[in-house]
Amino acid sequence: MREPSPNNFIDPSVKKCYIIKPMQVGLGFSSRQDYIKAAKEAANNAMASLDSDKADLALVFTTKEFNHSLVLKEISAALANTSLLGLSSSDLICSQGVLSNGIIIACFSFPEEIYFNTTCVEGITERNALSLGEKLGEELLYGCKGNRRNLSLIFSNCRSTEGQNIFLGLQRKVGKSFPMVGASVETEIYSGSAALNNAACGVLFGGKLTFGMGTKHGWKPLGKPRKVTLSSGNAVIEIDGKPAASLYKEYFDKDAAGIKKDLSRISAYYPIGINISGQKEYLLRSLYSIEENGALVFNGDVPKGSDVRLMISSKEACLESGRQAAELARDSLKGQKIKFVLIFNSSARSALLGREASKEIEAVKDACGWDIPVAGVYTCAEQAPLNSANYLGRPYFYNNSITVLTIAG
Amino acid sequence: MFYANIILILLSTLIIIVLSSMLMTKMQNIRQLKGEIDKLMQSLENMDEQAKIIVRADMELNRIQEELDKKISGLYALQKLSHNISTTMVEEEIFKNLSHELFRGIGFEKVGIFHWDSLKKEFIIKSSLGYSEEEINLINLYINSNKDRTLSFVVTNKTLSSISTPENFADKKRLRDIFKSEYFILSPILPKQDNRGFIFAGTEDPDTVITSGDEELIKILATQLGQALENARLFEKTWNAQQELEKKVAERTQELTAALEEVKKASKRKTDFVSSVSHELRTPLTSIKGYAAILLTGKLGALPPEAKERLEKINRHSDELGHIVNELLDISRIESGKVAMNLESCDLKSIVDKIDDLLSGQLKDKQINLEVKLKPGEFKALIDQAQISRVFINLVGNAMKFTPAQGKISISAEKKEGMIQVDVSDTGCGIPADYLEAIFEEFFRIENSINQEVKGTGLGLALVKRIIEAHQGKIWVESKAGSGSTFSFTLQQAT
Repeated sequence: MREPSPNNFIDPSVKKCYIIKPMQVGLGFSSRQDYIKAAKEAANNAMASLDSDKADLALVFTTKEFNHSLVLKEISAALANTSLLGLSSSDLICSQGVLSNGIIIACFSFPEEIYFNTTCVEGITERNALSLGEKLGEELLYGCKGNRRNLSLIFSNCRSTEGQNIFLGLQRKVGKSFPMVGASVETEIYSGSAALNNAACGVLFGGKLTFGMGTKHGWKPLGKPRKVTLSSGNAVIEIDGKPAASLYKEYFDKDAAGIKKDLSRISAYYPIGINISGQKEYLLRSLYSIEENGALVFNGDVPKGSDVRLMISSKEACLESGRQAAELARDSLKGQKIKFVLIFNSSARSALLGREASKEIEAVKDACGWDIPVAGVYTCAEQAPLNSANYLGRPYFYNNSITVLTIAG
Repeated sequence: MFYANIILILLSTLIIIVLSSMLMTKMQNIRQLKGEIDKLMQSLENMDEQAKIIVRADMELNRIQEELDKKISGLYALQKLSHNISTTMVEEEIFKNLSHELFRGIGFEKVGIFHWDSLKKEFIIKSSLGYSEEEINLINLYINSNKDRTLSFVVTNKTLSSISTPENFADKKRLRDIFKSEYFILSPILPKQDNRGFIFAGTEDPDTVITSGDEELIKILATQLGQALENARLFEKTWNAQQELEKKVAERTQELTAALEEVKKASKRKTDFVSSVSHELRTPLTSIKGYAAILLTGKLGALPPEAKERLEKINRHSDELGHIVNELLDISRIESGKVAMNLESCDLKSIVDKIDDLLSGQLKDKQINLEVKLKPGEFKALIDQAQISRVFINLVGNAMKFTPAQGKISISAEKKEGMIQVDVSDTGCGIPADYLEAIFEEFFRIENSINQEVKGTGLGLALVKRIIEAHQGKIWVESKAGSGSTFSFTLQQAT
């Protein structure tokens, strides 16, 4: 990392690696219909609750129906010289519960011993996602050699296969056990004042950032174990030597058309679980589509030879897993005061919980504290370590899970 | 050698027997294990079959739960929407209050609300959700290029939807194309009124299963929206009428104020005139009375009895005229505010007693009983003692005039709402109802036999009224011809 300039910044316009001042977190939200006013209000509220004149980093979460370019322009103007990262989603999570319309901005002003670097890569589907993931890792690591690296936050909005490859490419550079929390969505992601599609962006923290993570899903295996006998990436072609689609056909007593008709429901409620050797939790993969040849396409890779089972959950188990994830994230901090809670929650869980979706956020607040600022989004896929108690586990690409990140200051 | 061979054969046989036995045992074990594996496999298969049943039941439960959630959300959204639109009486506000979030809660991400503008003769889009400006313009263009058809449909008050309308119904496909919604509900608003319209709610999401319950929900919403619009229209109409009325009242008030000002000016001119004339009359009157008195003394020579009689008449009439002039001057002074009321706390009983003393001779002569129902210190009023004495003198004097011998005059008082009401009652001839208000006017005298006999200026009660009003009080009379009269007036209580 280059030496700090006298004004405490290192080449901020180009290389985005700077040294910053005492840490504070300010959270603002607005649910106004007028998105320009909403953007301004959320930014002003975030700055007003930030005990600092300037924010170093802002995480921006919006619901999908906004004009993203105009919203970002407004936020950029309100938060001058602040690095922006974020994404849009169907629903948002804030301290007040679940927002189906609105903007949430979390502003951070970090202490001097915490460093961060932001970057983004575009054109994932046209290029090699794996190498783009490596590029993302290289850029995030830029100038951080020799310094303690802490945590990375990754946002992506690409199809699951590319999303996972980006993730794997990134892991090649930052290390397979490097703590990483990520969210994949089908809508826009934000990097600076640009709203991007088919892209991934992230931030890598270095220095003395104290954080905790917890990831749980709450789905349990059902029925007999099966083996994936033929697969390619996220497409499972055969299970137990039979066309993969027969798994769902048999369980639901439906033909391919029936499965397709109920795809969103089946995908949300009944993913498959991959048994990971040495891990208690199954790795979930939700169904993305069913192909003409009987192959099942999942939101994430399913390697050949994997032992898989159909998974099922209930509202109670789902809420309990949310609470457990929050407790894991809280306990990882070993008693340090939580300053901010970030939640990446699968939209499948929102579908399962229905009108009780906000109870899951309440469970997180129960565990972390009701006065702690909370922000988050509903996602298509999540990335976090499977074994999160001491955040040394290898991060995986998930579906149907809730990931809670706690930051202490 | 032979024996050795025998032993070898025996041993071999023994080994074969043992090995065979072991093999058989092993085979039996394998058979047993295979049986157990088969049983386990069977259990696993059974478990899998049970899992299938569980999954199917769970799927069905989830579907029912979703529908239930949707219905609850729908009812909640309907209640919120109904509340929102009923909080205002302004048409534009009603449309603004239709929260898009609540429509999403019901499961529709595309909404368009159209309202017929009877002046422009076209449909106006009042609220939309999930459409770009360009899409809305196209929808608007289509609706208005087919406005007659749309209007005639609205009048039928039928709800169209992707579930209940037959697929061969021509408009169904057209509506899907225009509104870009595979699943939709369209319900008329106020079909029989001038301000009719319709509400369109749609979705492209195949998971949003539109049910007849949703149709009912949108229908209820359309009815409530229509009712709110009708209320707003009636309110606006009433409001406009009220505004018109208020405008007219303001105009009339202005006219009346101007007229009142004129009356006040005229009254002041009259007061000034009376005051001026009275002043001018009093000087020569004093001279006339003075000269008449000198002549009557005989200092200027003895006067013949006829002349003396005439001079006495001049003197008497001069006194009467002087009295009139003084009362007129008092009235005009009080009216013009030139006489300041020296208000002080005073016991009414003491004033009335003085009046009793003053008039006791006359009362005795006329054989009239004056009954004073006041107790000392009971009624303390904030008054100008001299002026209120004049009020009592006038009222009791009047009562004496019109009360026959053996009659009775009574003075009583009571406290009412911080004021003291004093009643002066007599058992006299009473006042006809037509004159009850007029008697307080200057120079008004009732045409009756007593008035013809008894002299009076017609200014006494007018003066009394001015004095009471100068005390911030009121005066009125209750009477019936032949049944006596009661003059009542109010005075401020002394604290």
